Amino acid sequence: MSDEPTTLKMVEGAPVPMGPGTESDLSLPALPAGTEMVNVIIDGRAHQVAKGANLLEACNSAGANVPYFCYHPGLSSPAVCRQCLVDVKGQPKPVPSCYTPCTDKMEVTTASPRVLDIRRQMLEFTLLNHPIDCPICDKAGECSLQQHYFDWDAKFARNDGVKVEKAKAVDIGKHIVLDQERCILCSRCIRVCAEVAKQPELTMAMRGDHEVLTTAPGRRLDNPYSLNTVDVCPVGALTSKDFRFASRVWELTSTPSVCPGCSTGCNIEVHTGKEEVKRLVPRPNDKVNKYWMCDEGRFTYKRTQTDRLGVPFVDGVPTEWDAALDQAKARLQSVLDKNPGAVGVVFSAQSTNEDLYVAAQLAFDHLGLKRAYLAGRDQGWHDDILVSADRNPNTAGAIAIGGGRLKSLIDLSQDLKKGELKALLVIGEDGVLAGDAGSAALPLQGLEALVVLAWCRDSLVDSAHVALPLAAWTEVDGTFTNKQGFVQRVRPAAPAAGDSLPTWEVLGHLGRRLGLAKDFTSARSVFLEAKQKLAYMKDADWGKTSLPVHLRFANSRG
Amino acid sequence: METSLTSRRLVLGVQEPEDLDGPDLPTEPMPLNMGPAHPAMHGTVRMVLDVEGEKITNADIQVGYLHRCFEKESEYATYTQIFPYTDRLNYVSPMLNNVGYAMAVEKLLGICEKVPERAQYIRVIVGEMSRITDHMTCLGAGAMELGAFTVFLYMLKAREWLYELLEEVSGARLTHSYLRIGGVSADLPDGFAGKLLARIAEIREVLKDVSKLLDTNRIFRDRMDGIAIITKSEAIAWGLTGPMGRSTGFEYDVRKDHPYLVYDRFDFDVPVGSVGDNFDRYMVRVEEMHQSMRIIEQALATIPDGPVIMNDPRIALPPKAETYNSIEAMIAHFKLIMDGIHVPPGEIYSFTEGGNGELGFYIVSDGTGRPWKCRVRPPCFANISILNHILKGLFIADIVPTFGMANMIGGECDR
Repeated sequence: MSDEPTTLKMVEGAPVPMGPGTESDLSLPALPAGTEMVNVIIDGRAHQVAKGANLLEACNSAGANVPYFCYHPGLSSPAVCRQCLVDVKGQPKPVPSCYTPCTDKMEVTTASPRVLDIRRQMLEFTLLNHPIDCPICDKAGECSLQQHYFDWDAKFARNDGVKVEKAKAVDIGKHIVLDQERCILCSRCIRVCAEVAKQPELTMAMRGDHEVLTTAPGRRLDNPYSLNTVDVCPVGALTSKDFRFASRVWELTSTPSVCPGCSTGCNIEVHTGKEEVKRLVPRPNDKVNKYWMCDEGRFTYKRTQTDRLGVPFVDGVPTEWDAALDQAKARLQSVLDKNPGAVGVVFSAQSTNEDLYVAAQLAFDHLGLKRAYLAGRDQGWHDDILVSADRNPNTAGAIAIGGGRLKSLIDLSQDLKKGELKALLVIGEDGVLAGDAGSAALPLQGLEALVVLAWCRDSLVDSAHVALPLAAWTEVDGTFTNKQGFVQRVRPAAPAAGDSLPTWEVLGHLGRRLGLAKDFTSARSVFLEAKQKLAYMKDADWGKTSLPVHLRFANSRG
Repeated sequence: METSLTSRRLVLGVQEPEDLDGPDLPTEPMPLNMGPAHPAMHGTVRMVLDVEGEKITNADIQVGYLHRCFEKESEYATYTQIFPYTDRLNYVSPMLNNVGYAMAVEKLLGICEKVPERAQYIRVIVGEMSRITDHMTCLGAGAMELGAFTVFLYMLKAREWLYELLEEVSGARLTHSYLRIGGVSADLPDGFAGKLLARIAEIREVLKDVSKLLDTNRIFRDRMDGIAIITKSEAIAWGLTGPMGRSTGFEYDVRKDHPYLVYDRFDFDVPVGSVGDNFDRYMVRVEEMHQSMRIIEQALATIPDGPVIMNDPRIALPPKAETYNSIEAMIAHFKLIMDGIHVPPGEIYSFTEGGNGELGFYIVSDGTGRPWKCRVRPPCFANISILNHILKGLFIADIVPTFGMANMIGGECDR
């Protein structure tokens, strides 16, 4: 150790985020009180870390740059890639830091000549049979092997022997294609299946340079979390069928958001290319989804790209916003004038808190309606990993804002059958009345006014007197409240389809026509007002203003 | 140089502007626009003049019409992608800009010593060729604006010989983008030295002809002699460098005072003027062309064999055959193209002798493949800043030769 004064710095064994770090919602669990701390000297500087903390995490949070392929903060460490070897004083050979717990007075050198040499040799060995695929490989640009070669090897090939040939483009699962030649045998995907999905479907077979990744005999890679293997794959061995050849990664921009697939509210990054959503990847959040998301959630963006409404319709005829809003107002007003009790509003559990707040202002505070219902997608299967049965992202928020005034769809069906409803305003979002609950044969024919706000064309929209197009979740600003009560932010990642507008804005326009003396200027202003009024949003934070990150400039993927 | 200037003064004397003033005629002050689209303006620049009769009382030089966001664009380009932008700074001597920029990045990378010697010689040779084309453009156009169209045609004929050779070297007549970080993009073509030496001999003849046409030409001398005199102290105060600074006797040439590349191995002189007028600026440029040719001859005679770019996958693109046949070179190629050369965090001000003077690049790196900041010190920005000072009291007709000899290049000045 040098003579210079040592600095003491707290190292909390920080997991290394795997995303481009656009906005890390990753809040580390505080160390439990009474955790025993030890002193570790990393590259000549003393650091305090929890006893038994992972040495690799300790080194990297202390500012060292220890590379790795097989280590992943969310998985166990097998120490197979030998990239994270470091010198520990007193040990005859370098040790794999990802597999070494910190002990007191440990002296670590992360970049000794011996370590650098081993690192380089391992990379040379790994590259020996790696195919020359970069120009056609989906991972190029966010590939750890490329990154490590450039950072730690940077020597030309010394061997021009024939490479071992293995299977390419193997269809191993519903969503995944495997290229065995590209695989560097780090085993991250095997551990994702075994440890996250709890379905060990992948394994290694053969020996030596013929070793390959493959599915276990008679199995396919079909677990509900299979696409996480693509995220953790450091190279392009596992690729997503959906994203394969769809875009080059450096042409994408990343926007932090939240998956609307169920009430878990997994944190995600929306990756957009040429103003179109190309893929969703999980964003680490220790309290919600760790590093993962389910396969079903990955495809939630598809719904925002098909059958979009685009323009307002009045009696099935496309029209302008002003005309449509005037018509909606006129039709609702005629019923309101005759019998305010015959007007109902259907809220959606897919709306953001801001949309629900404006809807509640209009329906309850301004119009004083008594008939309000809560709609949502049907329940689905669930597990105890991430998938919730409730397939709506904001049921918690809707129930809180509704404050007991929202009735169920069964009530709606009964009220309609009894003929007590003459006008209905449906904040439909996406197909909320089209599923099993909705198909309880809602007798909508008797309505004098049916105004529907929706993203997509469906039978409900087709039967509406006035249909108003909404911007989808990938296109709006707002917050969802997940089942744990976390208020989490979605951000616009793509331009709104056609002339569609955010729900709060449409309701604001309609509200003004109905005499609501209030202007809502942005989702943020609605949020700030709701935060004042609603107890459960008291501690919610709108978050920083952040521009989408161009992945080419993120410099941290791979 | 010194003696010839003294002798011309003895023969012709110096005519001060006051001598031509004559009896005062009643005049009214008048604003007059010159430019931004004026045929005798080098590049797009606007001068708002206050004149009394023909006499200039104030000249407001407005630059910026050729602003292309060079510095901001550079923050979004990899270090290699910036070369084409530097070509468009001083576009009559692109090689010198390439040299200045490449050396700044190399200093930041700490690889100056590792650039192959042959590449350094090539940089000197093509740089000096560019200096000659720069001065030829300046003097040819300057003379044409004073009516000497023949000189313009002679100069451009000779300039074209050099452009042809530079095109053989780089593939492009004007926007060469020939240099790379760590060397140059390709070796000199076969037979290059012979062709260049033959052209140098011809260029010397052209310069002789031009001297005969201009040096004692009464029309030319009347417009140049004693016009727009700048003193040495003024030159230093205004930060004038290059031929404009040296015309005042300010003996500063980066190649001599802070030698870079292999300039310290060559024998060459730095010509300086004694009066600091337009004619001195003309003479200094003529002499500099001769000195550049001396340097080229020495460099061609002593250029060593060897590689022309560093053999480091982190710096230079691997050879094509390697790229297509080995994964190592493929990755290096990919990373260099997509991410760029990773320059360690830090900042550097690096300066070289450009066509118009001290060409500086100030680069700040944040450790990525793109500069965090890439600032240029364009020599002619400082050089023309003195124009307001020296044009006062001159006549409208004096603007053309004075501006011509200041040699403002819009691409460089406005960036």
